[in-house]
Amino acid sequence: MADLSTQRSCGIAQRLATAVLRAAGGATACLRMPPLSGDSSDQGQLGLDAPGFLSLPLAPAVLRGAPRRSPRAGEPPPYELLVAAEAVSAQVSELKLSSAEALFAQASGVFVGGKLFLIEGVSTSQSQGAPYVYRLLLRESAQGS
Amino acid sequence: MQNARDTFYITLRNRLAAVNSARTMLMRAVPRPGIYVQYAEAPMAQPVLDAFALRWTELQADHHLPAILAQMTCEIEYATAGTQNNAGLDRGRALEQMDTEMLRILYPYAAQKMNYTQLPAAPMETMVFWSEPEFGPAVPLRDRVSRTVKVTVFAFQEAAGAANSTGYEEQGES
Repeated sequence: MADLSTQRSCGIAQRLATAVLRAAGGATACLRMPPLSGDSSDQGQLGLDAPGFLSLPLAPAVLRGAPRRSPRAGEPPPYELLVAAEAVSAQVSELKLSSAEALFAQASGVFVGGKLFLIEGVSTSQSQGAPYVYRLLLRESAQGS
Repeated sequence: MQNARDTFYITLRNRLAAVNSARTMLMRAVPRPGIYVQYAEAPMAQPVLDAFALRWTELQADHHLPAILAQMTCEIEYATAGTQNNAGLDRGRALEQMDTEMLRILYPYAAQKMNYTQLPAAPMETMVFWSEPEFGPAVPLRDRVSRTVKVTVFAFQEAAGAANSTGYEEQGES
């Protein structure tokens, strides 16, 4: 049976997540985004042109080691980046994107503390149907910083 | 060899745009035909659905000809989850559609080799040619199904001048 009780979202979960991440030493993570105009030339598609990535700041964000499920030799350790949903929604609005998923799908990596990480997965925690924190599963890039 | 690889990709991309102009994708904020070179794009956890991903694997060189003949294996991977309208139940049909497009964009099995490091791209002296495709099995994974096609691409090593008797050139380029 459907729950028909009225639930008005007042944004307290989002504000609380932002405050907790900031209190936990939240830093700034920068998504590596393609340039707004893009590069439609043949050279751009062949890896000849420098892509001219943009840096999109997200704060507060907290990086921590993620548990390894099945460690393999030579595989870089996984990390988890927790990002406040308020920061993500601000950038989604700024870039006029349809969703946060579209934002992360366009990102080719994320810089945290000067290191480049590759995004392997994105999940959210929600309250009353609205995300209050995004959890990015990361691995350190071979490109380094 | 890079010129041959570039020519192969650009040829397939242009043919795909003609065969099915609706097969497009958004890559690095640019809408373009649904085909890309894996190693020329940012690493991604999952390949783009409903698009063709090219990657170069094996490489052999035949030195027993007047000019060195490079043989490169190109693996073309594509996956689909069908359409939302059909709740993904048409993913088999969608894969068959991509199989057909694969066959059509590969034929004819040759193209004029071009040098894309110049602007505008300049034609080179030889052709790039390739084998008939070897279709791998359809691989289901949860709600998506994928296939990998192998094509062997051949290209002669070109030099500024004519090939010498041994086929070795000092500034070869294919």
